[in-house]
Amino acid sequence: MASPALKPQPVSPLEFDPTIYHITEGQNGTQLNIDDFCLWYGATQALHNNTLKIERGLVTALIGPSGCGKSTLLRSLNRMNDLIDGLRVSGSITLDGEPLFGPQVDVIALRKRMGMVFQKPNPFPMSIAENVTYPLKIDGVTDRKILAEATEAALRGAALWDEVKDRLDQSALGMSGGQQQRLCIARAIAANPDVLLMDEPCSALDPIATLKIEELIDELRGSYTIVIVTHNMQQAARISDNTAFMYLGRLIEYGATETMFTNPKGRRTEEYITGRFG
Amino acid sequence: MTDITADRPVRTSVTFVRAKGSDVSAVGEPFIWGMGGALAFGVIMILGFLALVIINGLVTFWPKPLEEVRLSDGRSFVGEPVRVETYRPSPDQLSKLSDEVKAKILSDGGFANRSLYRIGNFDFYNNDFQWVADFEVAGRSKPADLYLVERQEWGVFIGKITAVRAGDESLENPTYNQINAHFDEARSLRAERARIERVEIGEINHRLNAGRLEIRRAVLDAGGDENAPSVRRITDKVAAERVDLDRRFQEAGQKVNDVRARDGRFSVSLTEVGGQTKTLPLSSLVRFYQPNKLGPGESLAIYGSRWLEFIIAEPREANTEGGVMPAIFGTLVMTIVMSLIVAPFGVITALYLREYAKQGTIVSIVRISVNNLAGVPSIVYGVFGLGFFAYILGGNIDALFFPERLPNPTYGTGGVLWSALTLALLTVPVVIVATEEALASVPRSMREGSLACGASKWQTIKWIVLPRAAPGIMTGLILAMARGAGEVAPLMLVGVVKLAPELPIDFTFPYVHLERSFMHLGFHIYDVAFQSRNSEAGRPMVYVTTLILIGVVLVLNVFAIQVRARLKKRFQGSQF
Ligand SMILES: Nc1ncnc2c1ncn2[C@@H]1O[C@H](COP(=O)(O)OP(=O)(O)OP(=O)(O)O)[C@@H](O)[C@H]1O
Ligand SMILES: [Mg+2]
Repeated sequence: MASPALKPQPVSPLEFDPTIYHITEGQNGTQLNIDDFCLWYGATQALHNNTLKIERGLVTALIGPSGCGKSTLLRSLNRMNDLIDGLRVSGSITLDGEPLFGPQVDVIALRKRMGMVFQKPNPFPMSIAENVTYPLKIDGVTDRKILAEATEAALRGAALWDEVKDRLDQSALGMSGGQQQRLCIARAIAANPDVLLMDEPCSALDPIATLKIEELIDELRGSYTIVIVTHNMQQAARISDNTAFMYLGRLIEYGATETMFTNPKGRRTEEYITGRFG
Repeated sequence: MTDITADRPVRTSVTFVRAKGSDVSAVGEPFIWGMGGALAFGVIMILGFLALVIINGLVTFWPKPLEEVRLSDGRSFVGEPVRVETYRPSPDQLSKLSDEVKAKILSDGGFANRSLYRIGNFDFYNNDFQWVADFEVAGRSKPADLYLVERQEWGVFIGKITAVRAGDESLENPTYNQINAHFDEARSLRAERARIERVEIGEINHRLNAGRLEIRRAVLDAGGDENAPSVRRITDKVAAERVDLDRRFQEAGQKVNDVRARDGRFSVSLTEVGGQTKTLPLSSLVRFYQPNKLGPGESLAIYGSRWLEFIIAEPREANTEGGVMPAIFGTLVMTIVMSLIVAPFGVITALYLREYAKQGTIVSIVRISVNNLAGVPSIVYGVFGLGFFAYILGGNIDALFFPERLPNPTYGTGGVLWSALTLALLTVPVVIVATEEALASVPRSMREGSLACGASKWQTIKWIVLPRAAPGIMTGLILAMARGAGEVAPLMLVGVVKLAPELPIDFTFPYVHLERSFMHLGFHIYDVAFQSRNSEAGRPMVYVTTLILIGVVLVLNVFAIQVRARLKKRFQGSQF
């Protein structure tokens, strides 16, 4: 536990040093390019000038203390924040070079390229198979054969096939929490997206279910660009290739996970990773 | 286990007993008592009401014994005891009594008991009921040979069956079985006659009328020119059909006369205790039995057959006898049509208000107005329904589609459709409020999950939000149905009638006739209670009809609750 003496004092924005980058352009190329991105909820600014390049095919972890804007940044990537009144953004984010914000962007098409997994499992009130094929249903696919193949592929991809292959037409609400979360991952990958966004996918799960999800993320590495928000330092260290540390809406330090955990440059990064605040 | 005494001293005195007189309100107990009391009061009121209706409703049809009452002045009468009450005889009634009786009454504080008897035989006595004071009675007995006869006309007869005739054969003082031997045949002949009159002749009349309307229509289409060739053609066609119809009408009439002649061979003579006799066709009896001879099994059979008649037969004798089938049917049809209208209407409104409209002052005003609609007196809806739906909408529909029937209105007067619409208007706030609540309670995570998959807002609503909100919407619909089925006042203006000649759904094309006026259980209750010849005779019917109305609402609700339970199981599950 952090002792009171080490608690960070409120700081003025001017006190922040520029972001420390250990990497700028990885060898796999950039999938998502976040450039000088700021975001306001009404009058309060939640993100301040974030700039980072998320590498294609790797797992990028977003870490930082509660309320630092991890979810906000993640949800900006598939524009889930659009639902909120009074939201403003500046700067830019591009997916494979195409801008995400702008009047001509088709948000629906954009979201189809980005699967999202939420903190709490949110299976739909339908059968397991219908849950998995929901993205295809949206696209108007009705061919039973295609749907069945997609179901199996996605469930295998989410390491759930063997557990549920006999109860595909049962309600998804009857599954365990860990199974439900893997089902949500299966649903996210059924649409065959480029990017998977995960917002604390294990926080509602027990250690064994967490382990399964971590193994699954490990398997998905390479096939998808994964951005994962986590509070669990060990988890970030275990599963991610790159780590971004955020604090009060700012990107403090960004680099390969190994570097970040063994040799952090920023004072706050070090304090947070060693568990002295957060 | 660790030794806690090592680092903490052991507490020796324990004081967690509440001190006497400590403030009870601090723990909120008076409020809990208050709330519990209010609940108990409400429950008792409801249970008391239900018990009153159920008990009175259930005993009505049980056959009761007949008593012969001999009065001290030598007269006598026979009747079914209804109830006993205490009353205060008037002074001039008292003055006519013997001193002994008078002293007795005065010693009771001027009160005496009197009994009400249902004496029937309205055609002889001009009265169905009679009060008799206990001091007038010389003796009571229960003669076994007395009959209680329910008749198609004139209500019940109480007395003796002195003769039964079948053709030339005549039996004096017949036994029950001897009468019954002919009864079934006579009854089936009557039923056959009714069927021919209603179905066959009814159909012929319907077609004759249709032909007449066709000619009028053709004349109207030809701009009023009765000699136009198009009119000629139709007139000729209808005339040709008419020949055939007239012939069939003759045949049917002949058939009816045949049956009536056969039926007329059976007759019974009924003699009341005073000796007056009346001879009736046997088929005009509905049911007869000897109440004082009945065993429990026979009583039960009569009880059952009366309930059956009540539920499946049509009313007789200004609704005080017979059944309430048209009213049950009308209530059901109207309530279902209303639900079919109110459900989509309310759900769409709520969807727009909650999901699409920009939340702000205007939406708040709309919402408050909708909620306040529920407080408008229902008769106002009736007036609106009559003026707007029946006269304006219906009048225009008639002018456009049924000009040949004018000045007789088709849609331009009250009917099932207009009633259902009026009640839909009355109950739509309930559905809107419930739906909005149900929509609001759909977890955000579900919507986000769907949107994150790339679904549009409408797809999300259609596939995720609405199914998930369905149980809540059903709750609103259940409330609306209960409210709608029990509403009477507005219906009296927009389509409910005392006696509807035809049902809103029947076997004549196009089978569903929503323009027809209909009967309704709620109105039926009002009608028998306040509009019938004799409030005493109507009273049991009020209870029974109320029981049926409660039953109908219950059945509708149980059905809707079942649907809701299935929706809930399917769409909400249990999540831990
Ligand atoms: N809808 C909203 N309206 C206004 N402010 C918001 C909204 N959502 C988040 N915020 C604010 O934005 C800041 C960042 O929130 P965010 O949810 O991104 O934090 P987080 O890093 O995900 O925290 P946690 O680890 O607790 O999930 C917080 O100060 C929060 O109060
Ligand atoms: Mg968060």
